[in-house]
Amino acid sequence: MKTPGQDTFEGQILALLPSLRRYSRSLTRSDADGEDLLQDCVEKVLARRGQWRGLNLRGWVLTIMTNLYRNGRRQTDRAPFVELNDAEDTVSVDPAPDPLERSRLEDALNSLSEENRSVLMLVVIEGYTYQEVATALDIPIGTVMSRLSRARQRIGERMKADNVITLRRPK
Amino acid sequence: MNEINQTVTEADLHAYADGQLPDQARARIEAWLSDNPDDAARVAEWTARNADIRSLFAAYEKSTDTDIGLVTGRRQPANWPKRLATMAAIIAIFGLGALSGHYGPTLFEKPDLQLTELETLPNEARNAFLVYAGEVRHPVEVFANEEAHLATWLGKRLAVQDLKVPNLQELGFKLVGGRLLPVDGSPGAMFMYEDQAGERLTVLVGRNADNRSTSFRFASSGNIETFYWIDGELGYAVTGEVSRDVLRKVAEECYRQFPS
Repeated sequence: MKTPGQDTFEGQILALLPSLRRYSRSLTRSDADGEDLLQDCVEKVLARRGQWRGLNLRGWVLTIMTNLYRNGRRQTDRAPFVELNDAEDTVSVDPAPDPLERSRLEDALNSLSEENRSVLMLVVIEGYTYQEVATALDIPIGTVMSRLSRARQRIGERMKADNVITLRRPK
Repeated sequence: MNEINQTVTEADLHAYADGQLPDQARARIEAWLSDNPDDAARVAEWTARNADIRSLFAAYEKSTDTDIGLVTGRRQPANWPKRLATMAAIIAIFGLGALSGHYGPTLFEKPDLQLTELETLPNEARNAFLVYAGEVRHPVEVFANEEAHLATWLGKRLAVQDLKVPNLQELGFKLVGGRLLPVDGSPGAMFMYEDQAGERLTVLVGRNADNRSTSFRFASSGNIETFYWIDGELGYAVTGEVSRDVLRKVAEECYRQFPS
């Protein structure tokens, strides 16, 4: 298959795909859902290419993806227990020392509503400012803050482990 | 310094944790945090969690072979054929791996086994305690008078060189002995101890499929407490009908004595 040129619309989307893949996975509950959301998003982006105003392609695509996600199209009934399959096959940037803590964090993220999760991920994964989130999602900044706050509070409650003690062996 | 007196809102704290404040505002929040430990703890939690979330998804930032097809609209229309193809590829690779006896297994190592074991470990430990700790005449297979033999034998079955039998004398518990028993479907070891009042506790050691460690956690069921953890290749569980405090000391002592 021929690689699209870098200057073409397709070529620019292609260059964005790795980070789009990360963002779509951060919103979804499984690798399969993440890939589905990514594919739906790319289809939509290609179909709507005429609507892009030629500025900040990445932001435009992220908004489309976030809206697809929030509209619940991907919230089909999939198995609730999922692993970060693909991530396990690659060299991890930071191999988490405690797999249980990783899976607890994933459970906590999966307990968030779509609204709260997308705000959190735009901030944490994409590094959006609060104002950028407000613009991207077309909501007031106060709503951004309350969703972020609720997301963090919820995760905090879910992660609060009254049965975990960290022990280190003395040297 | 008048600025410090301005109220710091929760939104300010989020912005600080997310690195969205200019230097001057950061300094103001830092001054506030040094006087407000509760807020400081919240901010520290959020900051650490941001890093954990990024780490959780970092590995997904990658290209795949299907990317070009995706943007040129020539991807497979449905997922089914793709997944069938993936299965076929897996089977093919597995066949190759089996032939070479080498690459197949390493490609398909998954962490699931380890999590399964961690979930079953406290139950298995509790069951072993319930079954054996009440035994008067046959609580163990090999008694403490043959401790060296016990260690060698169970070490061999667990495939651990130099398996140590923890010494809990300082905590008032004397070794009764040990036995072989299945832990998560593989040979495991159980050591039993008792104090002067005859109160018993057990230490279960099982093989861990995956070489990753966990923190220390406990589970309660009725009066029976279990502390368990995975340390490299072995999973451990300490169980007894004693106070959580005592059991924690025992667990910590075992953690210190077992080789890492």
